[in-house]
Amino acid sequence: MSMITADGEEESENIALVRVVLGGLYAIWLREVKRAIRDRGQLFGGFSRPILWVVIMGVGLNPYFRGEVYGEVRFVVPYTYLQFIFPAVIALNILYTSVQAAVSVIWDREFGFLREVLVSPMPRSVILLGKVLGGATVALFHGSLALVLSYFADVPISPGDILSGLGLMFLLAFGLTSLGVIIANRIRSFEGFGVFSNAVILPLYFTSSSVFPLDPALTSAQTRVVYPEWLVRVVELNPLTYAVDALRGNFIHFYQFDPRLGPLVMAAMAVGFFTIALIEFRRN
Amino acid sequence: MAVEGAVGISAGIGVEVSGLTKRYGTVLALDHVSFDVKAGELFALLGPNGAGKTTLLHILCTIMTPDEGTAKIAGADVVRQPLRARRRLGVVFQEPSLDDRLTLYENLDFHGLVYGVPAALRHRRIDEMLAMVELSEWRDRLVRTLSVGMKRRLEIARALIHDSRVLFLDEPTVGLDAQSRARIWRYLHELRLQRQLTLIVTTHYIEEVEQADRVAIIDVGKLLAIDSPAALKTAYGHELLDVTPHDPAVEAEILTRFGDRVTKGTDGALTIKVEDAGFIEAFLADYGSRIRSMSRKEPSLESVFLSLTGRTIRDQGATARERTLAFGKQGGEHTR
Repeated sequence: MSMITADGEEESENIALVRVVLGGLYAIWLREVKRAIRDRGQLFGGFSRPILWVVIMGVGLNPYFRGEVYGEVRFVVPYTYLQFIFPAVIALNILYTSVQAAVSVIWDREFGFLREVLVSPMPRSVILLGKVLGGATVALFHGSLALVLSYFADVPISPGDILSGLGLMFLLAFGLTSLGVIIANRIRSFEGFGVFSNAVILPLYFTSSSVFPLDPALTSAQTRVVYPEWLVRVVELNPLTYAVDALRGNFIHFYQFDPRLGPLVMAAMAVGFFTIALIEFRRN
Repeated sequence: MAVEGAVGISAGIGVEVSGLTKRYGTVLALDHVSFDVKAGELFALLGPNGAGKTTLLHILCTIMTPDEGTAKIAGADVVRQPLRARRRLGVVFQEPSLDDRLTLYENLDFHGLVYGVPAALRHRRIDEMLAMVELSEWRDRLVRTLSVGMKRRLEIARALIHDSRVLFLDEPTVGLDAQSRARIWRYLHELRLQRQLTLIVTTHYIEEVEQADRVAIIDVGKLLAIDSPAALKTAYGHELLDVTPHDPAVEAEILTRFGDRVTKGTDGALTIKVEDAGFIEAFLADYGSRIRSMSRKEPSLESVFLSLTGRTIRDQGATARERTLAFGKQGGEHTR
């Protein structure tokens, strides 16, 4: 092959680019998954967290999940507390793992691996997409670990629910992993992450109507009488509220908000956070 | 492989740099630097810290963009065709950039996938390169179990998994013992014979620069000289006299008498430039009884470096080591 036209070269360049993009996506995804499987601490957290929340907190608070309405004691929402928090525990496991994926971003930066990726012929968007897909896959896996506890939480799940549930969980994981990357970009010292995760994960979780309901039987005005107004406002502003609501709707068929709102907010989070992360990544 | 041969538009030229300029605010890190490196050449970059070596290397590796000027890697422009340029270059950074939670094989496989190396070729190259750097039996160990020298060897192997034609090595032997250093150079020379590989190396070990085909000396962003080691020595080299005085009084006397010609190293020794034939005899007659030791050095690249930059390479060596140590303690440059 001594003579090759400019077109021929252009074409082989394009083939090479396709191979780089597909191979690169796979390689980065695979690396994230391998690292997560080898990280015993993270796996342990993925198992123990839902058990603690469902078996101890859930079982412990189960008898108290009722209120007095017109002098009559009954469940505020027509579900047990276990059933009520079960979808939120899935979201919690995804939240933890997604934000932990950000730890690997910091590690890559600290220990130089990021450079290996930056001098490679992959476009920046592919690098980030591989990273987020890998993190989201691990988070989805951890979310599924919580799903196993549905039996103890007395939540009967049909195969159809599992399928649509996994879809919602992946969407949530994708958005939250992108958020994790955005946060990681702002952390300059490694020790800072523990503080940050406690400042982000737990507040987001507790204000997402995960552990207490905003009673749908009450009007907006009545809700503000039962709960302090600022709390209601925070819960309504927290995007995770709508993700938890979507999961709850999917698994126990109980919605506190418009059922269309959940998937919409989750998709907006996924697209929005990924776009911000990409713009920042390109700028650096 | 057909593609390989076809892209030889700029046959014979490995790297072309012309008018490269980079500013950090008002500081000029690179000032219109131009040079060509022939394909297959072993090219050394020599310069003190802050000279612009790293900036130059980062621009050539496409992770930084120049303010002015162009650079081409095997014909691919680093600014306009960065993805194409990256497929043709391999880099070994000074700080390790391996994933130490993956095995040696997994690190190399990752690299191959990311560079779009087809499966069959990828697997063959991984075996070949591991064998070359004598790490075959460590193939399935985690990288964290390797020594510093072994990691450096693995990084060299990794930079050659794809069809890299220009290999950049930033201080490839820093922090290694003499045996590991010799080993790394043996691999590099083997590689030059096997593949038409252009090697661009920064180092402060003067004996390593001696074996380069050409040396470029950079200081404060300017290219001061570029030629073969022999030609540089003829043009800028001087015989040097290393002197250790008995006491500070003698030292002060020598310093005032020879002025510009003396530099004081970090180890306390004075280095004096020998400019005329009878100098050493005259010096011995005056100071022979008042110095502890004296050694005479043939014109070397060290003296070339000294006369061009006004600094001894030993000082530079010490600070580079300190920097590496400091880096290790901090755990990375982003910790600040």
